[in-house]
Amino acid sequence: MNISTKKWLFLKYSSALLLPLMAWFIINFVSIYDSSYEVVFEFFSRQPSKILFLLFIVFAFFFSSLTISEIFEDYIHDEKIKNVANKVLYLFAIMIPLITTISVLI
Amino acid sequence: MENKNNPLSPHLQIYRWEISSLLSIAHRIVGVLNIIVISLICIWVILLSISEPSYEVINFFMKSFFGKFFALGLSWTFSFHILNEIRHLSWDLGYGFDLKVSKITGYLSIVGSFVFAVMIFLIGRQIL
Repeated sequence: MNISTKKWLFLKYSSALLLPLMAWFIINFVSIYDSSYEVVFEFFSRQPSKILFLLFIVFAFFFSSLTISEIFEDYIHDEKIKNVANKVLYLFAIMIPLITTISVLI
Repeated sequence: MENKNNPLSPHLQIYRWEISSLLSIAHRIVGVLNIIVISLICIWVILLSISEPSYEVINFFMKSFFGKFFALGLSWTFSFHILNEIRHLSWDLGYGFDLKVSKITGYLSIVGSFVFAVMIFLIGRQIL
Protein backbone atom coordinates (compact mmCIF):
# COMPACT_ATOMS: atom_id res chain seq x y z
CA MET A 1 0.00 0.00 0.00
CA ASN A 2 1.27 3.48 -0.91
CA ILE A 3 2.46 5.54 2.10
CA SER A 4 0.07 8.37 1.18
CA THR A 5 -2.87 5.93 1.15
CA LYS A 6 -1.80 4.61 4.57
CA LYS A 7 -1.55 8.16 5.90
CA TRP A 8 -5.02 8.97 4.56
CA LEU A 9 -6.50 5.82 6.14
CA PHE A 10 -4.83 6.58 9.52
CA LEU A 11 -6.25 10.10 9.28
CA LYS A 12 -9.79 8.85 8.65
CA TYR A 13 -9.76 6.09 11.29
CA SER A 14 -8.32 8.42 13.94
CA SER A 15 -10.89 11.07 12.97
CA ALA A 16 -13.79 8.60 13.41
CA LEU A 17 -12.42 7.55 16.83
CA LEU A 18 -11.74 11.12 17.89
CA LEU A 19 -15.28 12.48 17.31
CA PRO A 20 -17.03 10.72 20.25
CA LEU A 21 -14.01 11.41 22.48
CA MET A 22 -14.20 15.13 21.61
CA ALA A 23 -17.91 15.23 22.44
CA TRP A 24 -17.31 13.40 25.75
CA PHE A 25 -14.39 15.65 26.70
CA ILE A 26 -15.98 19.03 25.92
CA ILE A 27 -19.14 18.27 27.93
CA ASN A 28 -17.04 17.19 30.91
CA PHE A 29 -14.56 20.05 30.54
CA VAL A 30 -17.37 22.62 30.62
CA SER A 31 -18.68 21.03 33.83
CA ILE A 32 -15.32 21.13 35.68
CA TYR A 33 -13.18 23.91 34.15
CA ASP A 34 -13.70 26.33 37.08
CA SER A 35 -14.00 23.74 39.84
CA SER A 36 -11.78 23.37 42.88
CA TYR A 37 -8.54 21.40 42.91
CA GLU A 38 -10.19 18.44 44.66
CA VAL A 39 -13.03 18.14 42.12
CA VAL A 40 -10.75 18.34 39.06
CA PHE A 41 -8.15 16.03 40.64
CA GLU A 42 -10.87 13.48 41.40
CA PHE A 43 -12.15 13.69 37.80
CA PHE A 44 -8.74 12.88 36.31
CA SER A 45 -8.05 10.18 38.94
CA ARG A 46 -11.15 8.04 38.51
CA GLN A 47 -12.15 5.66 35.76
CA PRO A 48 -13.40 5.83 33.03
CA SER A 49 -12.52 9.55 32.76
CA LYS A 50 -8.78 8.86 33.21
CA ILE A 51 -8.53 6.37 30.34
CA LEU A 52 -10.94 8.33 28.10
CA PHE A 53 -8.95 11.54 28.59
CA LEU A 54 -5.68 9.78 27.76
CA LEU A 55 -7.22 8.21 24.63
CA PHE A 56 -8.59 11.63 23.69
CA ILE A 57 -5.23 13.39 23.83
CA VAL A 58 -3.35 10.56 22.09
CA PHE A 59 -5.83 10.51 19.18
CA ALA A 60 -6.07 14.31 19.11
CA PHE A 61 -2.31 14.75 18.74
CA PHE A 62 -2.00 11.85 16.29
CA PHE A 63 -4.81 13.25 14.10
CA SER A 64 -3.55 16.83 14.37
CA SER A 65 0.03 15.97 13.45
CA LEU A 66 -1.21 14.26 10.28
CA THR A 67 -3.53 17.14 9.31
CA ILE A 68 -1.00 19.87 10.10
CA SER A 69 1.66 18.05 8.06
CA GLU A 70 -0.86 18.19 5.18
CA ILE A 71 -1.05 21.98 5.64
CA PHE A 72 2.78 22.14 5.51
CA GLU A 73 2.66 20.02 2.34
CA ASP A 74 0.18 22.44 0.76
CA TYR A 75 1.85 25.72 1.67
CA ILE A 76 5.59 25.26 2.36
CA HIS A 77 7.67 25.08 -0.79
CA ASP A 78 11.18 24.79 0.69
CA GLU A 79 11.91 21.10 1.43
CA LYS A 80 14.36 21.87 4.26
CA ILE A 81 11.92 24.13 6.09
CA LYS A 82 9.14 21.60 5.53
CA ASN A 83 11.25 18.77 6.99
CA VAL A 84 12.21 20.81 10.05
CA ALA A 85 8.58 21.91 10.56
CA ASN A 86 7.40 18.28 10.33
CA LYS A 87 10.06 17.06 12.78
CA VAL A 88 9.17 19.77 15.31
CA LEU A 89 5.48 18.91 14.84
CA TYR A 90 6.01 15.15 15.39
CA LEU A 91 8.25 15.77 18.42
CA PHE A 92 5.58 18.03 19.91
CA ALA A 93 2.84 15.46 19.12
CA ILE A 94 4.79 12.76 21.00
CA MET A 95 6.13 14.77 23.95
CA ILE A 96 2.94 16.57 25.08
CA PRO A 97 0.75 13.41 25.29
CA LEU A 98 3.64 11.46 26.83
CA ILE A 99 4.26 13.99 29.63
CA THR A 100 0.51 14.35 30.22
CA THR A 101 0.06 10.56 30.35
CA ILE A 102 2.87 10.21 32.89
CA SER A 103 1.45 13.01 35.05
CA VAL A 104 -2.05 11.48 34.99
CA LEU A 105 -0.86 7.95 35.72
CA ILE A 106 1.55 8.82 38.56
CA MET B 1 3.49 13.58 0.14
CA GLU B 2 6.26 11.39 -1.27
CA ASN B 3 6.33 13.12 -4.64
CA LYS B 4 8.76 16.04 -4.42
CA ASN B 5 7.15 17.69 -7.47
CA ASN B 6 3.72 18.14 -5.92
CA PRO B 7 2.31 21.57 -6.80
CA LEU B 8 1.63 23.95 -3.92
CA SER B 9 -1.97 24.92 -3.17
CA PRO B 10 -3.00 28.28 -4.60
CA HIS B 11 -2.80 30.97 -1.94
CA LEU B 12 -6.03 31.79 -0.14
CA GLN B 13 -6.60 35.21 -1.70
CA ILE B 14 -6.93 33.62 -5.16
CA TYR B 15 -10.31 32.03 -4.33
CA ARG B 16 -13.71 33.60 -4.77
CA TRP B 17 -15.37 33.01 -1.43
CA GLU B 18 -17.96 30.24 -1.45
CA ILE B 19 -19.48 28.28 1.42
CA SER B 20 -17.31 25.25 0.51
CA SER B 21 -14.00 27.16 0.50
CA LEU B 22 -14.97 29.14 3.60
CA LEU B 23 -15.71 25.91 5.51
CA SER B 24 -12.59 24.16 4.24
CA ILE B 25 -10.31 26.99 5.40
CA ALA B 26 -12.26 27.48 8.65
CA HIS B 27 -11.99 23.73 9.33
CA ARG B 28 -8.20 23.89 9.11
CA ILE B 29 -7.93 27.05 11.22
CA VAL B 30 -10.30 25.66 13.87
CA GLY B 31 -8.37 22.36 13.87
CA VAL B 32 -5.08 24.18 14.56
CA LEU B 33 -6.77 26.32 17.26
CA ASN B 34 -8.17 23.18 18.89
CA ILE B 35 -4.80 21.47 19.15
CA ILE B 36 -3.25 24.64 20.64
CA VAL B 37 -6.04 24.71 23.25
CA ILE B 38 -5.73 20.95 23.89
CA SER B 39 -2.00 21.57 24.53
CA LEU B 40 -2.96 24.24 27.09
CA ILE B 41 -5.38 21.79 28.70
CA CYS B 42 -2.53 19.25 28.91
CA ILE B 43 -0.46 21.89 30.74
CA TRP B 44 -3.47 22.46 33.05
CA VAL B 45 -3.54 18.70 33.82
CA ILE B 46 0.25 18.59 34.34
CA LEU B 47 0.01 21.53 36.81
CA LEU B 48 -2.84 19.69 38.54
CA SER B 49 -0.59 16.69 39.08
CA ILE B 50 2.30 18.82 40.42
CA SER B 51 0.57 20.57 43.33
CA GLU B 52 -2.49 22.54 44.40
CA PRO B 53 -0.75 25.98 44.38
CA SER B 54 0.42 25.47 40.77
CA TYR B 55 -3.14 24.47 39.78
CA GLU B 56 -4.54 27.61 41.46
CA VAL B 57 -2.50 29.81 39.08
CA ILE B 58 -4.65 28.63 36.15
CA ASN B 59 -7.82 28.23 38.22
CA PHE B 60 -7.72 31.97 38.96
CA PHE B 61 -8.05 32.60 35.20
CA MET B 62 -10.63 29.82 34.73
CA LYS B 63 -12.91 31.28 37.41
CA SER B 64 -12.95 34.70 35.76
CA PHE B 65 -15.08 35.97 32.87
CA PHE B 66 -12.30 34.93 30.48
CA GLY B 67 -12.57 31.34 31.73
CA LYS B 68 -16.26 31.29 30.81
CA PHE B 69 -15.46 32.83 27.41
CA PHE B 70 -12.71 30.21 26.95
CA ALA B 71 -15.08 27.30 27.78
CA LEU B 72 -17.86 28.64 25.56
CA GLY B 73 -15.41 29.35 22.72
CA LEU B 74 -13.98 25.85 23.00
CA SER B 75 -17.52 24.42 22.91
CA TRP B 76 -18.01 26.18 19.58
CA THR B 77 -14.66 25.17 18.03
CA PHE B 78 -15.22 21.53 19.08
CA SER B 79 -18.83 21.57 17.80
CA PHE B 80 -17.76 23.09 14.48
CA HIS B 81 -14.94 20.58 14.10
CA ILE B 82 -17.15 17.59 14.97
CA LEU B 83 -19.95 18.59 12.56
CA ASN B 84 -17.59 19.47 9.72
CA GLU B 85 -15.58 16.27 10.26
CA ILE B 86 -18.80 14.21 10.03
CA ARG B 87 -19.44 16.02 6.71
CA HIS B 88 -15.93 15.07 5.50
CA LEU B 89 -16.31 11.45 6.63
CA SER B 90 -19.66 11.15 4.81
CA TRP B 91 -17.95 12.44 1.63
CA ASP B 92 -15.26 9.78 2.12
CA LEU B 93 -18.01 7.16 2.24
CA GLY B 94 -19.42 8.58 -1.00
CA TYR B 95 -22.40 10.52 0.34
CA GLY B 96 -23.31 14.20 0.04
CA PHE B 97 -21.19 15.13 -3.01
CA ASP B 98 -24.10 16.74 -4.86
CA LEU B 99 -23.51 20.51 -5.01
CA LYS B 100 -26.90 21.37 -3.52
CA VAL B 101 -26.55 18.79 -0.70
CA SER B 102 -22.99 19.94 -0.06
CA LYS B 103 -24.16 23.56 0.33
CA ILE B 104 -27.02 22.56 2.63
CA THR B 105 -24.72 20.45 4.88
CA GLY B 106 -22.26 23.35 4.88
CA TYR B 107 -24.87 25.79 6.19
CA LEU B 108 -26.08 23.12 8.65
CA SER B 109 -22.51 22.78 9.98
CA ILE B 110 -22.30 26.51 10.65
CA VAL B 111 -25.73 26.92 12.24
CA GLY B 112 -25.50 23.56 14.03
CA SER B 113 -22.11 24.43 15.54
CA PHE B 114 -23.61 27.44 17.35
CA VAL B 115 -26.65 25.44 18.51
CA PHE B 116 -24.44 22.55 19.69
CA ALA B 117 -22.02 24.94 21.45
CA VAL B 118 -24.84 26.47 23.51
CA MET B 119 -26.30 23.00 24.22
CA ILE B 120 -22.92 21.62 25.32
CA PHE B 121 -22.40 24.60 27.61
CA LEU B 122 -25.87 24.29 29.14
CA ILE B 123 -25.57 20.50 29.58
CA GLY B 124 -22.05 20.84 31.01
CA ARG B 125 -23.17 23.50 33.50
CA GLN B 126 -26.22 21.33 34.32
CA ILE B 127 -28.58 24.15 33.35
CA LEU B 128 -30.31 21.96 30.73
